Amino acid sequence: MSELIEADDLALLTSGFEAAMAEAPGPGEADQSLYDLGWAELLDAAPAQGAATAFSALGRSNSAASLLDDVVANALGIAVSLDTCVVFPSPHKATAPAQRRGDTVVIEGLVSARLEMANTAVLAVGNGEGAVATTVDTALLHVSAAKGVDPGHAYRRLSMEIAADALTPLATRGTWEAAVAAAQVALAHQLMGGARWMLAEARQHAIDRVQFSRPVASFQAIRHKLAESLVQFEGAASVAQGCLHDPDPLLAALAKSLAGQAALTTATNAQQVLAGIGFTAEHQFHRWMKRTLVIDTLFGSANSLPAEIGHNLLSEGSAPRLIQL
Amino acid sequence: MDTATFRRELEAWLDANAEELAPPYEGAGSMDEQMAHYSRVKRALYDADFGRYGWPESVNGLGGSPLLRAIVGEEINLRGLADPSPWTMIEVLAPTVIDFARPEIAARLVPPFIRGDEMWCQGFSEPDAGSDLASLTCRAAKTEDGWVVSGQKIWTSFIQYAQRCVLLVRTGEPGSAHRGITALLVDVDSPGITFSPIETMHGRHDFAEVYYDEVFVPNERLIGEENGGWQVAMDILPYERSTTFWHRGALLHRRFSDLVAEVAALGDRSDTAAKALGQAFQSLVAFRSRSRDTQHRLAGGQQLGVETSIDKILITSAELELFEAARDLLGGVVEFDDDLDAAMWRTDYLYSKAAPIYGGTAEIQRNIVARRLLDLGPES
Ligand SMILES: Cc1cc2nc3c(=O)[nH]c(=O)nc-3n(C[C@H](O)[C@H](O)[C@H](O)COP(=O)(O)OP(=O)(O)OC[C@H]3O[C@@H](n4cnc5c(N)ncnc54)[C@H](O)[C@@H]3O)c2cc1C
Repeated sequence: MSELIEADDLALLTSGFEAAMAEAPGPGEADQSLYDLGWAELLDAAPAQGAATAFSALGRSNSAASLLDDVVANALGIAVSLDTCVVFPSPHKATAPAQRRGDTVVIEGLVSARLEMANTAVLAVGNGEGAVATTVDTALLHVSAAKGVDPGHAYRRLSMEIAADALTPLATRGTWEAAVAAAQVALAHQLMGGARWMLAEARQHAIDRVQFSRPVASFQAIRHKLAESLVQFEGAASVAQGCLHDPDPLLAALAKSLAGQAALTTATNAQQVLAGIGFTAEHQFHRWMKRTLVIDTLFGSANSLPAEIGHNLLSEGSAPRLIQL
Repeated sequence: MDTATFRRELEAWLDANAEELAPPYEGAGSMDEQMAHYSRVKRALYDADFGRYGWPESVNGLGGSPLLRAIVGEEINLRGLADPSPWTMIEVLAPTVIDFARPEIAARLVPPFIRGDEMWCQGFSEPDAGSDLASLTCRAAKTEDGWVVSGQKIWTSFIQYAQRCVLLVRTGEPGSAHRGITALLVDVDSPGITFSPIETMHGRHDFAEVYYDEVFVPNERLIGEENGGWQVAMDILPYERSTTFWHRGALLHRRFSDLVAEVAALGDRSDTAAKALGQAFQSLVAFRSRSRDTQHRLAGGQQLGVETSIDKILITSAELELFEAARDLLGGVVEFDDDLDAAMWRTDYLYSKAAPIYGGTAEIQRNIVARRLLDLGPES
C-alpha cells in the first residue's frame, strides 16, 4: 500500500499522535493530549497536510478524539480551542445544520464529544446558497442521549429549535463551502486509515487461518475480495492525497464519497474473510466497522454524495476536467 | 520543455489546424477511414514536432519526459481527433522495442511507426493460450541465420493494416513455460503469413486469426535474448497501463461529458440519473488520479510493475460504469436507434465489454493483486 504521508517530521508527529490516541481512547483525554502535542499549531501551519496526518492516525487507531470540530473551525478562520465545538450537518448531508424560520432557528445536526468540554458552539445557518456562521452558548443545546451504534465515538444528534436571538453572528474569513471541503478531505483520510486497518487484519487472518488443510488465503474467492478492497483503497487514497494540493470543493466531495465506498467495501469483505470471529464482540474488527458506518454519514455519504455531485454536473451541462498531469 | 508550455503550444497548434485535423467522416467512420485519418493526424503531429517529444533521439525523437506523450494523446482524445486504439499499439510496443531490440533495428524501424506511416501489431494470444500466455505453442526453430516460425495466433489486432508484428514464440522445449519463450519482430509481408479477420460483436474487424507457415525471421529481429521473451512481454505490460491508459481516460472523460450534456438536454433531473452520473464520474476521477500518479512515476524514471494492475482494474470499472450509465439514461438509444449519435453510443457500449478481457482479464488482474501486492501466497 502506498504511504500517505512521506515527510519525516510529519511521520514523527503521526507516531506521537497515534501513541497519544492509543493511550487515551476516551474523547476528552485524547483531545487534550493532542493539543499538548501541538495539534492546533500544526493545523494552523499546514491545514490540509496536518488534518490528513491526524485523521489517518485517527482512522488507524480508532481513537475517539474530536478533531473534526477544529478542522471546521480552522477552515472558517476561527481560532481553534478545546473551548469551541461545531455543530455538524445531519447524517448523509453536507448542508448547513440550521435553518431560520421567522424568529426561531431549526437545528438538525450532529455534535461530537467536544461539546461536553466547550462553552461555545459554532452553528452554520443556511441562507439559500451557502451559510452564515454564528455562535451559541453550549448550555442552550440539548443533545440527544442516544449513543447509537458506536458509543466510543460519541457523535450524537442535535435536533431542536432555538430562539434566533440566542445566536451571535460571527464574521469568518473562510466560507462554509471551504469548511465542508476541509471536513470531507479530513474524513476521507480517517476512512482510509480505518480501511487500511481492516484490510491488514483480514489479510493476516486469511494467511493464518487453515481450512481444508490450507490457508484460506489460497482460495480465489477470498483473494479476489481482498484484491477488490485494495483496488478501491488505492483509487480513493490517490484522490484524497490529490486534495492536499487542490482545494476544489468538488474534488473534496469525490474524495469523501470514494473513501466511504472503499471503507464500506473493505468492511464487508473483511467481515466475510474473518467470518465467525469477525462477528464477535471479542474481536476488535467490529469497532472499526461501526466507526466506518458513522464516519461515512458525516458531511455526505457514499450513498448521498454521488447524487449530489450528479445534480451539480447536470446543472452545469458538462463535466469539469479534474486532475491535471 | 516544461509540460505547461508544451500543452499551451500544442493547444494553440491544434486550434490553428483544427480543420485539417478533424475527421473527414461523420460519426465513428469505417475502420479504413479511421486508420487513414489516424495516420494523417500522427504524421501532422510528427511534422510539427509535437509527435517527436517524449521519444529518445535514437529513434528520431526530440527527447523529454514521457509526460509529453501523455499530453499529446490526451489533447487528441479530448478533441476526438483520432481513434485511440491504433495509437495504443505505439505506446504499448515502441518503448519495449526501443529497450530490447538491437539499437540499429530500433533506429531504423521505430521512426516510421511513431510518424504514423506504419502500423504494428502484437501477436501474443493463441487459440489455446489466452490467460495462460506462458503455455503458447507457436514454434520457432533455430537456423544458422535466424528462425523459422510455424503455428497459429489469434486476436491479433490491426494486422490487416500492419507492417510489423511483435511475436511471442516457443523456442524452448514444449512445456518450458515462460522459460522457453522468445520475442521476434516480424515483417507481416513475410512469405508464409496468412490471416483471416474476425468480426467483433460491435461490427468491426478489429482482430484476426493468423497462421505462420515456415516463416523465416532473420537473427537481427530478435527482441531481447533467446528464451528471454517473457521478460519482454512483462516489460510491455506496464507501458500498456500508463501512457495508453491516460489517453483512453481522456476519451472516457469526453464521452462522460457528452453523456452529462445529453441527459441534461433530455431534462432528466431525477435522483436516479444524478446518482448514476455521480457514481460514474467518481470512478473516472479515481482512475484519473491513480493514473496521474503512475505517469509521474514513469516520468521520474521509476520502473513500473505489477502495481499497474490496479490502474487496469480502475479504468475497466470506470469504462463499464460510464457506458452502463449511458445505456440506462439515454432511453433506448443503444437498443433501438441508428442515427450517428446512437451508433457511437452503441459502439462504445459494446466495446466497453472488451475492457475486462483484453490486456489480461479482470480475474487475472485480481490474481496478480492478490499474489503480488497483497502477498497472499500461492493459490490452491
Ligand atoms: C478487443 C480485443 C483485442 C485484443 N487484441 C489482442 C492483440 O492485439 N494481441 C493479442 O495477442 N491478444 C489480443 N487480445 C486477446 C486477449 O489478450 C485475450 O482475450 C485474453 O488474454 C483472454 O484470453 P481468452 O480470451 O483466451 O480467455 P481465457 O483465458 O480462456 O479465459 C476465459 C475465462 O476464464 C477466466 N480465467 C482464466 N484463467 C483464470 C485464472 N487463473 N483465475 C481466474 N479466472 C481465470 C478468465 O478471466 C475468463 O473469464 C484481444 C482481445 C480483445 C477482446
